[in-house]
Amino acid sequence: MTVTRKESLALIGAALVLPKCSGSGNAVRVASKNFGENIIIAEIYAAALERAGIPVQRRMNLGSTQIATAAMVRGDIDLYPEYTGTGLIDVLHLAPMRDPNKLFETVKAAYAHKYHLTWLAPSPVNDSQGLALTQALAKRLNLRTLSQCALAAPKLRLAAIPEFVTRADALPGLRKFYGGFAFADVRTFAIGLQYDALGRGDADVATAFTTDSQIDTDRLVLLRDDRHFWPPYNIAPVVRDAALRAQPQIARVLGRVSPLLTDPVVRRFNYAFNVQKADPADIAQQFVKEHLS
Amino acid sequence: MSYLTAHAGQIAQLTLQHLGLVLGGLAVAIAIAAPFGILAARVPRAGTPIFSVTGILYVIPSLALLAVAVQYLGLGPAPVIFVLAAYAQFILVRNIATALANVPAAQLDAARGLGMSPSQQFWRVELPQAAPVLIGGLRLATVALIAIATLGGYVGAGGLGDDIFLGLQRKYIDQTLAGSIPAAALAVIVDALFRLLERSSRARLE
Amino acid sequence: MLLGPSGCGKSTLLRSVNRLVVPQSGTVYLDSEDTAEVDPVQLRRRIGYVIQAVGLFSHMTVADNIAVVPSLLQWDRARIAARVDELLDLVGLDAKRYRKRYPRELSGGEQQRVGVARALAAQPPVLLMDEPFGAVDAIVRASLQDEIARIAQHLHTTILFVTHDVNEALRLAERIVVMRDGRVEQYDTPLQIVSNPATPYVRQLFALDEEERRFDSLRASLAQRKT
Repeated sequence: MTVTRKESLALIGAALVLPKCSGSGNAVRVASKNFGENIIIAEIYAAALERAGIPVQRRMNLGSTQIATAAMVRGDIDLYPEYTGTGLIDVLHLAPMRDPNKLFETVKAAYAHKYHLTWLAPSPVNDSQGLALTQALAKRLNLRTLSQCALAAPKLRLAAIPEFVTRADALPGLRKFYGGFAFADVRTFAIGLQYDALGRGDADVATAFTTDSQIDTDRLVLLRDDRHFWPPYNIAPVVRDAALRAQPQIARVLGRVSPLLTDPVVRRFNYAFNVQKADPADIAQQFVKEHLS
Repeated sequence: MSYLTAHAGQIAQLTLQHLGLVLGGLAVAIAIAAPFGILAARVPRAGTPIFSVTGILYVIPSLALLAVAVQYLGLGPAPVIFVLAAYAQFILVRNIATALANVPAAQLDAARGLGMSPSQQFWRVELPQAAPVLIGGLRLATVALIAIATLGGYVGAGGLGDDIFLGLQRKYIDQTLAGSIPAAALAVIVDALFRLLERSSRARLE
Repeated sequence: MLLGPSGCGKSTLLRSVNRLVVPQSGTVYLDSEDTAEVDPVQLRRRIGYVIQAVGLFSHMTVADNIAVVPSLLQWDRARIAARVDELLDLVGLDAKRYRKRYPRELSGGEQQRVGVARALAAQPPVLLMDEPFGAVDAIVRASLQDEIARIAQHLHTTILFVTHDVNEALRLAERIVVMRDGRVEQYDTPLQIVSNPATPYVRQLFALDEEERRFDSLRASLAQRKT
């Protein structure tokens, strides 16, 4: 039987498109954002669910908070790890809060009402945003706090990740809250590369996340958020109401995982990923084996 | 290179996915660009607004456009193909308009005068005469799309972008190379193939 | 023969015959048929068309160029092939040598011969020629003019020829339409026009006053010689 050219094109097209939109059956579709820590924690959620006998489909490395949220609302994914502070400011566009519990309750209520998404119990780890500089420079300029940095900014060059320049809970918010922060130069880099700029001497201050391993390996100092601009960023699983109704054990299984994720634990994940070049799935499997058996 | 050799099979699959995204984006791009390019060639005044729109599409940051596309098209290849098609318009519409506008007027006059219908004029004279320039435009567009298709990873559509960016994040050069070498190879091969096509179609005309 | 200076409207008049130009008023009759009532595409396939820039399709061979209208009319392959050879012969080109050539390999004169062959391929009763020999040098032009005169005698095709060259008109025309600024100054045989020019413009166009003066001075000098 000969296949016409049109038919073969149609088959190729279908082959490319169909596997991606195949129904999940009752598999839980676990996703993550596109940086190591989030991928590892998502892999831990996935591994824990699989250990409990729940089938899982993975869609890791999604490009941004907006993409992940849109995909959740559309129902293309069921579950991914999100930060409470990010949810509050970046997604809900509300004003920052300092109390981690109040923040969590606010975000949980809003997501349930607006998006039919449920925030499960959060972890202790607080992966906040921050500004970092080398210990040497910090000592020389006597910079320890964000207030001091706000005033000293005109003499400083900033290396930032792209989101930092636009997010309400980043540079624009810092400027409004602390005043100042008129950096002499602001340049953006892909996630992880802003530290290189610091190392090369192309920048004086770099944007950071408080669980980044580079803080330990590059001997950096995190400026203290003395006026508490940044809200807590506790990580928690966000899951679709429909998926939770279909598989209520999700809450119980992940409820056993969340308390285990603390600041030191997560920093060690980042170290394994960034420095030892370990595979996120391997890191997750190792952790689950050690702590959930 | 250890990462590449260790994950060779996976990378081959990612490369095919990447190529699939590019071809999908190209097909949709041509389907949209052709009527607008033809319109801009036939009605010079229509050119200005058409080119402004394609220029704007080109300037919108690709990630932002992708996030919007996901809202309507979900995850997977669809939003990537949408973004690829949107970007290619900038190159293709102007290319098609220019190619058609530069068909020798004498041949068009002769075609019309001899009794070819408008569609016969298009398929038998305009398109063959415009072929070298059109193929050149396709070459540029395809190579550009190979680069932009690295976005695929961001929405779970596969492709070579994942390895490139994750490798960059943690300075794992081997992983970055595992993504960028196949992508670069694709670009070089595609470019060479198109140049061959261009050359042979041009030879038939001169 | 449509004769006149540039911009007088002769090309426009020509192109209204095959409806490349649509007249704002008035009618064009072809074989007593109003051309406005016929599908223009079908109309043009019955009318030959040759232009100054030749317009051979550079991506097709000489044979394919000539075969354009017959293939549009869906003649069968054998008939088309035979006709191509016949026409190449007619325009003075060796069929075997020229069939597979491409337009870029031909000289200007050869290209226009192919252009004429292409126009005559489907045996149209009418042939339109718009300054067809304007782009070649004088020597080639002379031989092409001879060629077309010979062809015109051989076939029974009505030829409408546009030119601004008075000598070309006198050489080839059965009848001349003298035009100026969109109007017809005179329409008659060459002999009649030269013998009885209708307007001062026609006289001046054919340099008849000059001819008369030259004739008068010749007569005068001859008369003087007698004495």
